[in-house]
Formats: sequence, structure tokens, C-alpha cells
Amino acid sequence: MVGTGERVALIGPSGAGKSTLLGLANGTVEPTAGSVEVLGSDPAALSGAGLRRLRARVGTVHQHLELVGPLRVVHNVNAGRIGSWPAWRAAWSLLRPHGVPEVAAALRAVGVQERMYERTDRLSGGQQQRVAVARVLVQRPELVLADEPASALDPALTDRTMTLLTELAAGRGGSLVASLHDPALALRHCSRVVGLVDGRVELDAPAAALTLADLAAFYRRSG
Amino acid sequence: MTAVVERPAAPPPLRRSRVRWAWGVGALVVVVWSLAGAGLFSGDVLNPAGTRQLARFAAGALHPDLSGDFRQVLLTSALVTIAYAALGSATAVLAGAAGALALARTTWGRRRGGWLLARGLVAVPRGLHEVVWGLLLLNVLGLDPWVGVLAIGIPYGAVTATVFADLLDEVPRGAHDALRAAGAGRGAAALYGLLPQAAGGLLAYSSYRLECAVRSAVVLGLIGAGGLGYQLSLSFTSLRWEQVWSCVYALTALCVAAVVAGRAVRRRLTDPPPSAGDRPRRDVVLTGAGPATVALVVWSCWYLAISPAALVADRTRQQLTYLLGQAWPPRLSGPLVGSLLRAAVDTVQMSVIAVALATTGAVLLSGLAARPVHRAGPVRWGAGAVVRLGLLLLRAVPPPVWALVLLFVLRPGILPGALALGVYTLGVLGRLTAEALEELEPRPAAALTALGARPVAGWLYGVAPRAVGRVLVHALYRWEVAVRDTVLVGLLGAGGLGALLATALQTFDWPAVTTTLVVLVLLTLAVDLVSDRARDVVR
Repeated sequence: MVGTGERVALIGPSGAGKSTLLGLANGTVEPTAGSVEVLGSDPAALSGAGLRRLRARVGTVHQHLELVGPLRVVHNVNAGRIGSWPAWRAAWSLLRPHGVPEVAAALRAVGVQERMYERTDRLSGGQQQRVAVARVLVQRPELVLADEPASALDPALTDRTMTLLTELAAGRGGSLVASLHDPALALRHCSRVVGLVDGRVELDAPAAALTLADLAAFYRRSG
Repeated sequence: MTAVVERPAAPPPLRRSRVRWAWGVGALVVVVWSLAGAGLFSGDVLNPAGTRQLARFAAGALHPDLSGDFRQVLLTSALVTIAYAALGSATAVLAGAAGALALARTTWGRRRGGWLLARGLVAVPRGLHEVVWGLLLLNVLGLDPWVGVLAIGIPYGAVTATVFADLLDEVPRGAHDALRAAGAGRGAAALYGLLPQAAGGLLAYSSYRLECAVRSAVVLGLIGAGGLGYQLSLSFTSLRWEQVWSCVYALTALCVAAVVAGRAVRRRLTDPPPSAGDRPRRDVVLTGAGPATVALVVWSCWYLAISPAALVADRTRQQLTYLLGQAWPPRLSGPLVGSLLRAAVDTVQMSVIAVALATTGAVLLSGLAARPVHRAGPVRWGAGAVVRLGLLLLRAVPPPVWALVLLFVLRPGILPGALALGVYTLGVLGRLTAEALEELEPRPAAALTALGARPVAGWLYGVAPRAVGRVLVHALYRWEVAVRDTVLVGLLGAGGLGALLATALQTFDWPAVTTTLVVLVLLTLAVDLVSDRARDVVR
């Protein structure tokens, strides 16, 4: 259960199920057993336009970014809101980019505004990661999911990105769930820490009640 | 320093690539010009009187002739086609292996002039379609099975030599250079340092050539070399639609068998199963493929009753000397050159319409033709199977047959020829486009679905931008093939250079034949050049 306004850090050794949990929440992974409830609805019970509306309220920064390399940056950012656009606007925007000011603002927030019209696959790994964050910024979702959103960034940019994501979630009165490798980052930006081992929740505590030593002990225990 | 970097810069204005736009607009103009040239915007192109005949033809699809007698005919015809394909591609592979050494950069080293000359020479046999070779050889050898074998062997040999040479040149050179440094001769160094590494690629390409040779053998049958193609044309001219459809289904089955066998061999070559234990495990299929190929070639020689005597007979030599004497010098008279230029324009327009039609169709159908990544409902699965089967049928039937069918309802001219080529090319491009989509990493598109994109928008943003380059490259390659294939439909009267060539051959006007062939080769070279530049832009 993730409550409204919570900022949850998912930690755990690799293979613990962090990405799978996030995938269940955004619908890219289907449950083999049990059910999932996202923003008060069961995605499995919805289809068509109803499912699309629910999905548009969930934004994800994927671990492998999942940007479309040959597209220009502006289109990759705009792709964040094609869920709320009619099909003709999505098509026309590929010829004449729609809503450029919002895209520019999002790119400025992550600091790559000067690459707006470049092919996305020409950008460095860190720049692409920031484009993926900008895509979520223009989507303005209520639930923000982030899978290692800062793995390719330097410490200063990492902090800035986490702040952007938490502000984004807070701005819509929503929540953030981020899988993080860096325990310090988890304690600094999140209100709650959930530790996964082999798909089970082995740790669940308010960040304020935890110290770095507690998290180091968790990692040692889980091998 | 940092102050300069941190100042919020306004995003630069959108700049489009001028070169790409120029090529794109140019391509659009050429397509419209070609459609206008085909008379689409002026005058009648339809012949409504033929619709009943077309309906009868289509009805035959459900009632193919499966009587015992005709089954026997189909079987012997199929064996003839297989024998021609096997011998033709065997000749091509042997010629290609010998020719590859003459075309490889490795052989020429720094002597670039010699290499360019060799490449230029090989462009001539490559530029002429198998059927053109067939008609020329018919005049030298008479009705002899060698005509069919060499008609496949000569152009295929030239292509194979080029591809083999490229494969040899692409092999890492370390081992070869080390052998040369240790004092090995050129031949020995190539044998031990290059060949083992290139062997997989060479064998894979040979099996692919055999697949293509099956189609070529069918087409040669249409001009009289026997086999399934010949049977198809006989049934067609006697308006026996149910027999035509039996031939079409037999052709489809043959093409599928060739493709399946070729793929099995190639998959094992590129991705061999791991060997267990201390003894190297032999792959049964690959080990069997060698002797099977030899047996197939020997059987083909016996079945076609082919004999080397025909090649060295006095009559053959006399005929060749006579023809070469007649064919040189080529005729350069004003009326002939004028009509050749007009025919060349027709040829280009036909090929452009064909490829434009095929590409459009392939893109529209690709969504259904590609096997779905995620689990799909029975409706989607069934629709996909029907589309894939349809595309298979389109590419199994040779373009001239499509041209004859279209002539029921279209007035003669370049449009039926163009559409016939287009329909056939759609069969090929549809498969290639579907494969391009199947090979795409599915996650970026899935990410767009996960944020609520409609299927159309997800396709536009997540799939199309990543596939468009590859699809256009395939389309441009098929354009080169289509230009060569226009001759094929042209021989049947659809216009273009093929029609002029047919007239010149029928009247034994050898000087005009030479001129036509020269124009044909130059045209294919020009198209190859344009297509090559366009591919660079697309990539």
C-alpha cells in the first residue's frame, strides 16, 4: 500500500523484484497470481479508453529509459502526453511539434534544453536519462514510478532529478515510488523505505526512523 | 566558467535536414510523374468488359484441378524446375567462387585500377535479367537444357562473385597477414587465413541463391524452358483457370519448401548448437546437406539429359561467331535511339509505380503481417495468418502471370505491367517489412502503451521511427530488382525496354538488340547509383 503523498524508496539487492514491482504498477508486467490496485482501480478489470485514462495517470522513468532513438528529443518528451492527445494531434506533432513551450520548460528543468531538436540517440547516457525524466514531467502523472532514475548522473544532478520527481508527485498531490541503489539518496529524498529480498518485503519503515547503518545492515543480511 | 554554462539558453530553432527533404520531395515528384506517365490522370485505364473473365479466373482459386493426370504433370514439371534451379545455382556458385578471387580487394591489393575494371566488367552480366540471357542463349544453343542452366548461372554467377568477394574482404585480416608475413604465398594465405572464417557466410549465401534460383527457373519456364512455369503458361493460354491455380499452389509449395530448407541450413550455420562432451558433435542436417547437394546436381544432370557436347559443338561455335559478327556494330540511328529513350522512361516509370505501390501496401499490412510480440486474441492471430499467406501467394506467382491477369481488366500500356510488378514486389516487401518490425526491441513501444498512448499514436512514436530506415533501404533494393524485372513484363507487351528487345529479337535485328542491351545495362547501372545514394541518405 502506498498512500497519497508518500515518497517511497525501493531498495534491495539486484534480482529482488524492484523492477517487477514497478512494472506491475505501470502495466508492463502482468501478474501471474493475485491482483494489483493502482490509483483505486484494478487495471485487469479495465480495457480500451478506461485503461488508457488510468495509464495516463501513471508516469514511469524506466530503468533502460525506453526512449525512441531515431526521434528528436522534442518528440520523445511529447510522447509523455500522447495518452491525452487525439491521434491526429499526435501524428501532426511529428511534423510540427506541438506545445513547444512546455517541452522547453521541462528540458530546462533537467538542463538539456539546448538538445531539444537533436536525434535522441546522439545524446549521452546521462542526457538521455534526463530526457526520460522530462517525458514524465510533461505527462504530469499522479503516480510517479522511477526505476534507478539517476544511475547515469553525477551526484549534483542526481539530487536535482530526485527533487524534480518528488516535486512533480507533490504538485499533483500524488506519490512517488523509486527504486534506488544509493541508501543515502533514499534517506534524503524519501519518506518511507521498503526493502525487497526475493520478491518479499523484508523492510518497511519511515525514513526518519532509519539510519545509513540500518540500511547497510539490511544489504548485508540480504546478501 | 560555470556561470556561462548555467545561463538558461533558449532552445535553438528547429532545423530540418535539407538533404533528406530534397530526396523526399524528389521521390514524391517522381512517383506522381510516373503515375501521370501511366495515364492514371488522363483517359481510360480500365476495361470493364474483362471483369467476368477475371471473376471466372478468381473462382478457379477454390477449384484447382487435382485430377490424377494433372497431378502427374505437375510433379514432373516441378522436378524439371528443381533440376534447373539446382544446376543453375551450382553453376553460379562455381563461377562465383572463381570470380570472387578476381573481384576481391584482397587479390588486387593497392592496384585499384584493376579492381575497378573487374567490378565494371561484372556489371554487364549482372545488369541483364535471367530471361534476357535465356533469349540470347536460345539463339546460340537452340533448344538445349543448357539454355536454362546458363541463363540462371551467368547473372547469378556475377552477383555471387561480387557477394563472395565482399565476404572475403570483410573477414578479419590478422590470420591472413600473419601467414603472409611468415612467407606463405597469396593462394595459401587465402586458403588458410581467410577461407575458414568466411566459409559460413559463403555457404549461407549459396543456399539463399538456390532459393532465388527456384523462382528464376519458374520464370524461365514461362519463355519455354519447361517446368512449372511452362505448364502455367500453357494452362493460361488455353484459359484453363483451374489448372492455372493448381500450378500456382504447386509453385507456392515449392517456394515455401525452398525457403524453409534454406532457412534451416542458414540458421544452423550462423547459430550452431553447442557441442557436448570432448568429441565435436556433427550437425546431422549440415553434414547431410553436402552429399545431398552433390546428389541433387548429379540427378539434375541426368534428369535434364544435359551434355557438355552441346557447348563445344561446331554448330554452337558457328552460331556464336555469326551472332557476334551481326551484332557489332550496334545501330545508332535516330529513330531507334529515340524510341529507346522513350522506352527507358517507361521502364523507370513502371519500376517507380511498382515500388511505390509495394512500399505503401507493405507498410499498411505490416502491422498485421508481423507476428505479435505479446499474446494475441484468435482474431488478430487469424488475420495475421491470412495476410502472411496472401503475401506468400503474391510473391510465389511470377510478375508476368500477374500482368496477364491484370490485362483482363486494364487496357494495355505500362500500368498493367507496373501493377503486376507492384503486386509481386508487395509480396516480397511485405515479408521484409514484417521481419523488420518483428526484430525491433518491443520495450520502447510498450513504455508508450504503459503511459496511455492509443495504438495508432504508440505505433507512430514507438515503432515507425525505428523501422522506417530499414524499410526504405529494402524498398530501394527492390527498386533495383524491379528495374531488371520490368524487362520480364515488357517481353509480354507491357511496354518499356523489354518490349523493344522482344521485337528486335523476333525480327533477328541483331544491331538493334545490341543497342537495346547497352541501354538496359546503362539504365540498371544508373538506377543502382541513385538507389545507392538514396540509401546513404536514409541510413
